[in-house]
Amino acid sequence: MAKFAPSLVVIAVSTALLGCNQTQQQDPQVTINKNPYPSTYQVLPRTTTLLTNATVLTGTGEKIEQADVLMVDGKIKAVGAQLSAELVKGATVVDATDKWITPGIIDVHSHLGVYPSPSADAHSDGNEVTNPNTAEVWAEHSVWPQDPAFNRAREGGVTTLQILPGSANLIGGRGVTLKNAPSTTMQGMKFPDAPYGLKMACGENPKGAYGRGQKVAPMTRMGNMAGYRQAFIEATEYKRAWDKYDADYAAGLNPEVPQRDLTNDTLKGVLEGEILIHNHCYKAEEMAMMVDLGKEFNYHAGTFHHAIEGYKIAELLAENGNCAAMWPDWWGFKMEANDMVIENVAMVDAVKNSCAVVHSDSSTTIQRLNQETAKIMHSANQHGFELTEEHVISWITSNAAKSLGIADKTGSLEAGKNADVVIWNSNPFSVYAKAEQVFIDGAKVFDRQDDKYQAKSDFMLGQK
Amino acid sequence: MKKFKKSLVAISMLAGLVPSLSQAETIAVINAKIYTSTDTGVLTNASVIVEDGKIIAVNPEMVNADIIIDAKGGVLTPGFIGAMNSLGLVEVGQEKMTRDTNDKAADMTFDPSLAFNPKSTAIPFARKGGLTRSIVAPGGGETIFSGQTIEVELTGDWDSIVATEQALFVALGAKHDGSRIIGMQNLINKLDERQKALTKAATKKADKEADKAPTKEELILNAVLSGEKPLIAYADRASDILQLIKLKQRFKLDLVLLEAADAVVVAEQLAQAGIPVVMDAMRNLPESFDSLNNSLDNAGKLSKAGVQVVLAVPGDAHGVYGLRYSAGNAVANGMKYDDAMASITSNVADTFHLDAGRIAVGKPADMVLWSGDPFEYSSHIQKMWINGEEQSTESRHDELRDRYMTQSSMPKAYTK
Repeated sequence: MAKFAPSLVVIAVSTALLGCNQTQQQDPQVTINKNPYPSTYQVLPRTTTLLTNATVLTGTGEKIEQADVLMVDGKIKAVGAQLSAELVKGATVVDATDKWITPGIIDVHSHLGVYPSPSADAHSDGNEVTNPNTAEVWAEHSVWPQDPAFNRAREGGVTTLQILPGSANLIGGRGVTLKNAPSTTMQGMKFPDAPYGLKMACGENPKGAYGRGQKVAPMTRMGNMAGYRQAFIEATEYKRAWDKYDADYAAGLNPEVPQRDLTNDTLKGVLEGEILIHNHCYKAEEMAMMVDLGKEFNYHAGTFHHAIEGYKIAELLAENGNCAAMWPDWWGFKMEANDMVIENVAMVDAVKNSCAVVHSDSSTTIQRLNQETAKIMHSANQHGFELTEEHVISWITSNAAKSLGIADKTGSLEAGKNADVVIWNSNPFSVYAKAEQVFIDGAKVFDRQDDKYQAKSDFMLGQK
Repeated sequence: MKKFKKSLVAISMLAGLVPSLSQAETIAVINAKIYTSTDTGVLTNASVIVEDGKIIAVNPEMVNADIIIDAKGGVLTPGFIGAMNSLGLVEVGQEKMTRDTNDKAADMTFDPSLAFNPKSTAIPFARKGGLTRSIVAPGGGETIFSGQTIEVELTGDWDSIVATEQALFVALGAKHDGSRIIGMQNLINKLDERQKALTKAATKKADKEADKAPTKEELILNAVLSGEKPLIAYADRASDILQLIKLKQRFKLDLVLLEAADAVVVAEQLAQAGIPVVMDAMRNLPESFDSLNNSLDNAGKLSKAGVQVVLAVPGDAHGVYGLRYSAGNAVANGMKYDDAMASITSNVADTFHLDAGRIAVGKPADMVLWSGDPFEYSSHIQKMWINGEEQSTESRHDELRDRYMTQSSMPKAYTK
């Protein structure tokens, strides 16, 4: 509040003066550039490609046997058994007999590039632990594109991933959605037109990092709540100042420009629905309060990450339209992870209008989100569920795309979607399954049989 | 009163029908595919007979037992054995009051058996993964000497500890403060000094020094130098591993490497020196400059080179149930299936000198009956036994799931 209070006063005064002088000349209008680090992503070389005779999981709940997938100009053109010869003319044909095809895997929670391998002190760029609210930092500014783990994740079928700041802060900063195509720059990986995410964190981490670690607020969970509320009160004022500036300017006035504030730029984006919330939040009672917090300040509470206790409030999450992104079996490392159940994802998923997602938050399990999903499916089926492969694939494809706000672009094998595709050597929910070929926008980015399509980080060159 | 009588009768009848195993009952598992983890290999349509907690027959001509369990083609494996984890030492990782793995003052006498809690919720969870037994290791303190390992059965019973002071654990390699030199130097000096003292004591008669009762630390080093007690050394970089190979040769140690990311670079030397490697098969990132050779195919490569591989989830307590998935991934990346099975059963037993890990006559009846391939996600445990006693794989996680799956008009707190 204090930061921009003076400019609010200035605006009020200038508006009052302008009221008497409508004919005053306007200064050029000040607008905030919402995309100052735009994507420069270039699709890798590609041809029209036909994948034939596979078991296809579309990501929309369908399983099609002996089906073909046609990719034209980087988009899915058609999926189905026996595509017409006319349609597929001139395509590069990949025989996928006995293989399985799924949409490219999407991880909504990754720290690749910001906590890269090797974990050198100099590369520990994921957590700006200097203030409980660092909405001003953007994870994309920390991404080291040479993190060798990007390549390993691609070999596990991951085509899209959201890089988030860590969870030390109540409001940790912006996340960025990347295409998992190698590039020397972050911009070269940036998913065009994907919305930004905002990392928030409930519970133990913020109060631990500040109260226990630095003896400043928040010290407690009530301190956490006060911190978010204070931040959104300021952001609401900030938005009001800019809205008023824009309205006055549109009315022909020459209002004083509000003072720019990077922290509140991001929170204003949340209030405007342009930036999606990704909230590290384990416990049922905290998620329920975060839902109300969103209502208090008129934004949507977004996706709950980790959501160890999602199963306790599955109805609430679905009613409010929240996705929950979860692990299958991480537990016991802290109190808020004590009530894990392996069937959590299945239980959250079982409710109408749910949005269950399996995430990694790990540079190793990101390579095996198919196996993470398999753990849940099989354990749930042993306890009364009847989950199918064609259904659970949505947890790491279409539901993940929905969480990231890119479901209109990727996450399913439907005509018109980006041709982000994985060919697996067998049922992807087997421990022995491996991604054989991976396509992003119709371009082959990985081939297990062909060294030419196996990317290697600069860092790994020449290491013995 | 009447009701009470009735139940008494019921109990006695039940006791008559299903007597406890302590009364020398025999159990047979028949029609199983048995992974023996012995030279016998895999037996199909086979049977095993258990008496007094021990395996008394494997695939005999005639099956004669009090209780017969038809496996219907299911897979019977030895119980898997965890290695170098912190089961029973930690309840909630970040809650210091529930964590007994580390202490600044820990030295080579640091003994996890004094803290081991068989009632930890992580133990039934480990059983879900088919683990019946484990080598529990201390986290240690400020020096390289982290303490000694213990062997436990994962029954959750008060008498779970089988052996203490089992192996000495040292942690070497990269240091955040200071140099790795000091660690290696400390180890060499300790062994050297003790060996000199032992030699002196052996040659000089009635020396005052020799008469003095040896300290606990000296006894541990004596056992390490005599080769009775394995020395488990954590190290990743090949240069450290080569130093340790030299050390093994110089002091004739029973050396075991832990983690050993670069082991694949010196696989031949390790095989030649007969040094087992306890490793996490899932490490495949260059996590540090000590581990640039991490790869999913390392377990298979080491095994192929003749190194005795033990797969483990080192240091962990809550995630050790996933050991079988590590084995599956190792197989997916080139390890022979039988080698992977050995790496979580017989190899662990051999490396840590346990009398377990095999389905063979005379071995404790630690066995798991699976619905299918034990490395696959689609398979689950049908039955498991530790020392012939049937075990549950239920944990509080199941109770939480069931509570929240149960429809009720009352708050969940009333669903028990």
